[in-house]
Amino acid sequence: MNIVVLVKQVPDTESLVQIAADGVSIRKDDVKWIMNPYDELAVEEALRIREAKGGGVTVVSCGGPKAQETLRTALAMGADKAVHIQDPAAEGADALGTARILAAALKAMPFDLILCGQRGVDEDNVQVGPAVAERLGIPHLSFVIKVELLDGRVRGHRVVEGGTVVVEAPLPALLTTQRGLNDPRYASLPGIMKAKKKPLEVKSLADLGVDPATVGAAGRKVVVRALKLPPARQAVRMIGGETPEAVAAELVRVLHEEAKLI
Amino acid sequence: MERERLEFDVVFVGAGPAGLAGAIRLKQLAAERGREIEVCVIDKAPALGAHSLSGAVVDPRALAELLPDYRERGCPIEEEGLRDAVFYLTAAKALRLPWVPPFLHNEGAFVGSLSKLCAWLGAIAEEAGVNVFPGFAGVEALFDDAGGRVLGVRTGDKGVDKQGRRKGNFEPGVDLLAKVTVFAEGPRGSLLREAAKRLGLFDGRMPQVFETAVKEVIELPEASPFLTAPEAVIHTFGFPLGLHTKGGGFLYRMAERRVALGLVVGLDYADPMLEPYREFLRFKRHPLVAGLIAGGRVLQQGAKTLPVGGWYSMPRLCADGALVIGDSACTLNARRLKGVHTAMKSGMLAAETIAEALAAGDTGASALEGYRRRLEESWLGEELRQARNFSQALSRPPASRVVHLGAQMLSRGRGLVDPMPLHEDCSTLRPGVFREPAPVADLDGTLYLDKLTGVYLSGTRHEEDQPCHLHIPHPELCTTRCWQEYRSPCTRFCPGQVYEIETAEGGRPRLKLNPSNCLHCKTCEIKDPLRNILWNCPEGGGGPNWTIL
Repeated sequence: MNIVVLVKQVPDTESLVQIAADGVSIRKDDVKWIMNPYDELAVEEALRIREAKGGGVTVVSCGGPKAQETLRTALAMGADKAVHIQDPAAEGADALGTARILAAALKAMPFDLILCGQRGVDEDNVQVGPAVAERLGIPHLSFVIKVELLDGRVRGHRVVEGGTVVVEAPLPALLTTQRGLNDPRYASLPGIMKAKKKPLEVKSLADLGVDPATVGAAGRKVVVRALKLPPARQAVRMIGGETPEAVAAELVRVLHEEAKLI
Repeated sequence: MERERLEFDVVFVGAGPAGLAGAIRLKQLAAERGREIEVCVIDKAPALGAHSLSGAVVDPRALAELLPDYRERGCPIEEEGLRDAVFYLTAAKALRLPWVPPFLHNEGAFVGSLSKLCAWLGAIAEEAGVNVFPGFAGVEALFDDAGGRVLGVRTGDKGVDKQGRRKGNFEPGVDLLAKVTVFAEGPRGSLLREAAKRLGLFDGRMPQVFETAVKEVIELPEASPFLTAPEAVIHTFGFPLGLHTKGGGFLYRMAERRVALGLVVGLDYADPMLEPYREFLRFKRHPLVAGLIAGGRVLQQGAKTLPVGGWYSMPRLCADGALVIGDSACTLNARRLKGVHTAMKSGMLAAETIAEALAAGDTGASALEGYRRRLEESWLGEELRQARNFSQALSRPPASRVVHLGAQMLSRGRGLVDPMPLHEDCSTLRPGVFREPAPVADLDGTLYLDKLTGVYLSGTRHEEDQPCHLHIPHPELCTTRCWQEYRSPCTRFCPGQVYEIETAEGGRPRLKLNPSNCLHCKTCEIKDPLRNILWNCPEGGGGPNWTIL
């Protein structure tokens, strides 16, 4: 089974995010870069499927030179090969532009199953996976927390409000992965050593036959007008008191008089 | 359990300036001699530079020897052409010294961030063919059956839960075998602590003594007077520590409207109620400092210990198959307030010795002894000899301190007593004296932070479900003797609020540990008066995520 995993390098969620001078992007230096945590789930699931059913795992990422680190991490976890789409013209793509590029790359490679995180934790668009499936004309199952492979079909368990929905689709299909699916493995030290020797192919937009005008900053359909940091959270206030009754009384007083909630 | 083994010629434990400079130098020597030398560097930090913190005013001497084209290669320099100012602070005033002692002159030096510098050096090492592995902690030195020869190092298991059980993503550590293992763990290495016992590396040496630095990088408003001040480097002494506790403050101007600010507190302090973090806040509230940083915003915070014992507390540097370099070897020059260039130089000298030993096919202690000789004969040895009694003099009462320092200046470090003794930091707290701590003005969460906000801004993160990395052999002492005699000083000397004494059921006090707050500074292990704390490496990849400290 040929499994392709789409991965993205994102700023570590613990990094202090600062807005750049242009007001519409974040400062990229001083930030630690990691593999999108939802994509880690996708890589792990792909490796497990390969371990159970055989086949190969290819990881694909579209991003600047640094994105190669994330591909190497996936290779170190155990993926077999990597494709890095690196082209200055691809920079600044919106979700649909990125999907167009990834779909073009996927058309040139064999796949039975495509996995990717349900969203990137940087821009939170939740669009790339489904849009890639749409461009490839294949079904997609989103937010899966359990994957079962049947004969020529895939069954995905999805969490919905108050329950689980089980859906099935014929292969090839695209799945987006949700927290709870698995516990991603660590990249082992021998794995990192081996990853250095695994094939990593770099491709440009021209290699993929993608018109630069349709993607990247030039092809954006969504334009960012401004970025703002969320308002600073107020400090937590601990309500104290000698007895539980006193604490409760104080809580009621604060909610009533200060917060004016009751 | 059968562990995977990987063989290298040389393994460095720690990707700080010492380990990385050593690794790069080895690769240079290998290339010069047309030899293959397989070099590996591991570090517990999640990324290169993420656990490296220093002032830092860097003397480029070692850097220029290692990489003469360091500027062209994009060395991250924040500010150069430095002019210095030294202030004596009283509670309300700042008196500028008319004269800066020659060892504090920084004309040829530059202000740098050690996190950035190590990330940069690490990339150069990788380019040179070094295997650099951040995210892997060394947890145990490996010995031969006789126990006298170091064979390598074992990395820590990952994916182990609080109770020590394997989780679904368990990943066993591996054995890195090497002809030479180099301890470059920085101050108070946990691996060296155990290996040194076995090898007797600290026997007959003076104790290692330390200072704890709390540091921040602050972004200043455009109108800040410090951005255009003629002096980019400011050092202070006096307030808030007074003259009886050694230490002092620093402000170094960086690029991009930033300032590095910190307070260093000598851990030989006597007052059990002293809290380095609180002193750091008081330092920031001093009118001189508050004026220079007004309107600023803290970007990152961190803390680290500095080994200041110097020459006489250096361990034995060589053993069969092993060397000790950098802060682990106490190469920091406390007199010049600099440790980056000395750490790098020690790594480079170790590399030269190792290359020779590998070529000769003998990596025993006597073959590696050349490292100590090289160190003694180099400018590094000269620097450290001149500073050999400096830290000791600073621990003296103010009047005799001046006399000792003066005599040392006139006699190239010998002074009136040579060697002057050092006393372990864990032995200096005065029991039973509990003064009220000085008040600290309100914190605003932007420029003046409480400890937990500081921990947040250090980016510190650990896997929560893992065994506690702090070992307290006698927990019962925490709420009995340690409370009675010292009022649980761990709750104060730790800058990360790892230690708390809480009231358990029945009103009994109980020690509560928050190991995931740990900034990896190791002050606790060093200062604990009952020696009841052992710091071990948490799961590799945990800890601070410094990028600009």
